[in-house]
Amino acid sequence: MKATYYPGCSLEGTARPYDLSTRQVCSALGVDLQEAPDWSCCGSSPALKMNRVLSVALSAHNIAQIERRQVGDVVVPCPFCFRRLASAQQEMKADPQLKQRVETAIETTVQGELSVHSLLGYIRNEVGLATIRENVKKPLKGLRLIPYYGCYQVRPPKVTRFDDPENPSSLDEILDALGAVVLDWDFKAECCGAALALAKTEKVTELCGRLIREAAYRGADALVVVCPLCQANLDMRQDDVRAHHGTKYSLPILYFTELMGLSFGISPSALGMDHHIHDPLILLKNKGLT
Amino acid sequence: MLRLTGNSSERVFLNDMMNKSGQRLLECLQCGKCTGSCPVASPETGGPRQLIAQILAGMKDHALTNPMWWYCVSCGSCVTRCPVDINVYELATALCETAAREGITPSEREIHLFEDLFLKSVRKYGRVKELRTVALFNLMTMNPLKDMDKGIALMKKGAIGPLEIFRAGKKDDKVERIFKRVESTREGE
Repeated sequence: MKATYYPGCSLEGTARPYDLSTRQVCSALGVDLQEAPDWSCCGSSPALKMNRVLSVALSAHNIAQIERRQVGDVVVPCPFCFRRLASAQQEMKADPQLKQRVETAIETTVQGELSVHSLLGYIRNEVGLATIRENVKKPLKGLRLIPYYGCYQVRPPKVTRFDDPENPSSLDEILDALGAVVLDWDFKAECCGAALALAKTEKVTELCGRLIREAAYRGADALVVVCPLCQANLDMRQDDVRAHHGTKYSLPILYFTELMGLSFGISPSALGMDHHIHDPLILLKNKGLT
Repeated sequence: MLRLTGNSSERVFLNDMMNKSGQRLLECLQCGKCTGSCPVASPETGGPRQLIAQILAGMKDHALTNPMWWYCVSCGSCVTRCPVDINVYELATALCETAAREGITPSEREIHLFEDLFLKSVRKYGRVKELRTVALFNLMTMNPLKDMDKGIALMKKGAIGPLEIFRAGKKDDKVERIFKRVESTREGE
């Protein structure tokens, strides 16, 4: 299967393990990822907040570039990029005047008919659980994982058209297929504070604190994410949570692709698993998984 | 206490916000599901329900200086649960654009600074340079050592390189052009 891969800015920066593990896992699953030509930022939350035409134009610029030499479906690991690319297509379709303004800004026409998937959606629905199971060489036996979807992967459902926005299950099913113990909880799609990380750090600490505390209470060995921003916030704010709640937490925050790769027999360092603040390697060693 | 008289002038701001955001604010039931679901609702920010009430009441100054829409992280909880599908993050864009056009000082200076620095980085390089943006934000908020412990921890693990803060990388002229053209079409409205 061939697919166009739009990594997004975070995967070149703090979320490098997500990029490394995505490439490894897709290759193992027989998905040939072709990086989108000359891709640029989707504008993320700042463009979305500050300037609607700019926000749609930055996504449309990428869509137009992909359209010119399209290779299969478009796969996007970062849920915010995924939502912006998908939304830009819908917004232009619903509003021809907006489309015209955007085309003027990007100096080209855009069809806006690409099939855009989040990486999670693509792996769960296009690749499928059967293929995943076939590739598992080292089942994650005894590893207690708590799946966390965050916001942008599932909401708003009119844009994401993916899973249940209140109680999603795709990630649960994938982790189950890897042989892990999948824990249930009520905070699957709660917010981590997202891009307030810099300007309103205390808000992010409060929101991440709730998630970490609950995950620890449920007895999780690690919390599993699909979003670079969730990963950064939950990994980086645990020490600040301790300052607020007095309890010391050290919960590894892992991308689902890292765990897929691990169960496929790929070495943790090739997946970037040695790059996290809260080290998962000790845990994996204790569980006999490395 | 504010009492509406029904005069059409009271609806100018409301109509403007409905047009710009595409949200059917007149259908708002003030049920409060949005505020109950909102991760950033608090006594300081109020919540989406209060923000919509201000717009419905024509309280333009209050709405444009309301911190709520600066805090909005576009999580989409409100629109997912709203019985009449009002999307507050799309409303936030309309308020932000209007406030900027009218020269209103951002009520949340630091959130505005972050978003501005982020877009400047995108404009220049085509892709946002995370570490440079963080370093610049911490410098400009007079807090240069903020989160230094985390930065050092990540560097020790090889997750980030110290040079990334200083290394500019290549520029993307096409993206800079998009920013310029969006600005010029806006002026021509």
